[in-house]
Amino acid sequence: VLHVTRPLHTTQQSLAPLPPLPEKGGEVRHGLIPEEFFQFLYPKTGVTGPYMLGTGLLLYLLSKEIYVVNHESIAAICILSVIIYGVKRFGSDVAAFADKLNEEKVAKASAVKNKAIKDLETAIEMEKKEQWRVEGRGYLFDAKRNNVAMVLETNYRERLLMVYNEVKKRLDYQVAMQNLKRQKEQDHMIQWVEKNVIQSITPQQQKESIAKCILDLKALSKSAQAAV
Amino acid sequence: MNLSFFDQFTSPYLLGIPLILVSTMFPALLLPSTDNRWLPNRLCTLQLWLSHLITKQLMVPLNKKGHKWALILTSLMTLLLMINLLGLLPYTFTPTTQLSMNMALAFPLWFATLLTGLRNQPSTSLGHLLPEGTPTPLIPALIMIETTSLLIRPLALGVRLTANLTAGHLLIQLISTATITLLPLIPTVSLLTTLILLLLTILEVAVAMIQAYVFVLLLTLYLQENI
Repeated sequence: VLHVTRPLHTTQQSLAPLPPLPEKGGEVRHGLIPEEFFQFLYPKTGVTGPYMLGTGLLLYLLSKEIYVVNHESIAAICILSVIIYGVKRFGSDVAAFADKLNEEKVAKASAVKNKAIKDLETAIEMEKKEQWRVEGRGYLFDAKRNNVAMVLETNYRERLLMVYNEVKKRLDYQVAMQNLKRQKEQDHMIQWVEKNVIQSITPQQQKESIAKCILDLKALSKSAQAAV
Repeated sequence: MNLSFFDQFTSPYLLGIPLILVSTMFPALLLPSTDNRWLPNRLCTLQLWLSHLITKQLMVPLNKKGHKWALILTSLMTLLLMINLLGLLPYTFTPTTQLSMNMALAFPLWFATLLTGLRNQPSTSLGHLLPEGTPTPLIPALIMIETTSLLIRPLALGVRLTANLTAGHLLIQLISTATITLLPLIPTVSLLTTLILLLLTILEVAVAMIQAYVFVLLLTLYLQENI
């Protein structure tokens, strides 16, 4: 039996989970009758076919009292009018609300996705900037090299100056020593000469020089008096 | 079909087969399963939104232990809502107009809340029998009154639902009978009664939803006291 009935199984077997509901319902006309019914009757009866069928059926049921009009009918009219009014008035709003709920869900998720994308793009730009910065490292090294050379040069010149100063100090010292020595020799010689000269002046010579000075002074005073 | 006024409340039979179970479980067929898609179609979205709203509303006052009752209370609410609303259509049978069904729903659930309270915190749930700040001479009388009000709760729950729905349905029947009898006689008065009937229908829709909500809400209140 299983093999005989196998060609009859055109869809998956019923043990599988039910296929999910379609996203939108099928088209209906007047909220009740599927569009396929109208299409089904169209080749034989045209556009007005299903309406004639409906009217005829209704009138048949009413006239033969298969559907009896009693108090329930009035209640039926009332509740159906309330329902139809409600659907017509609030139908699109409710549909928009349901769509909005779904939209919010999607928006939340895509907000997360977009933020992630934006963060990654920012990261890419940062990375590119870092790469551009890295290209300038040649300049950095040159500048550093120049700095180092300049520091070395400065150091060298400072040391040169120091050497010069030290050498000059030593030479100055030698010069000062020589000067001092000559000065001392000169002073010593002058003193020795003076001492010798003073020693050589005998008392006789001293008296003679003093008498001569007095005679000179008298002569001078006579000439001075005359001048005045 | 010659209907008397109470034929709508008789349990339906088809060729001798009782249809009461079918009529009670049928409303569940009208709610499609939500089949775990992330973005469901419109009907499922609205259904999910409504059930989330109901569950949040019922479970907010309860503590964590009370959240175990979420499934039964939400499904009870949905069942009562659907049964009540579908009963407003003509020639339908509303199972909640039967006192037997409502008592079968109310009594076990109320009794469960009572037993939970007595088992887990007996002194607190017994303490609910005496409101705070009562003057001392009144205490014995008040305990009797509170016990009576406690024991009458399941009866009140069941009878409230039954009476509201039965009364509403009966009123609809009566006024529509008046309308249709007056139609050949005094069409103007018939028109007035039609207007009354329209207003009554709108009221009945509201009552259907409110009664379902009240039933479940009172059960959560009894649960809050006892859990």
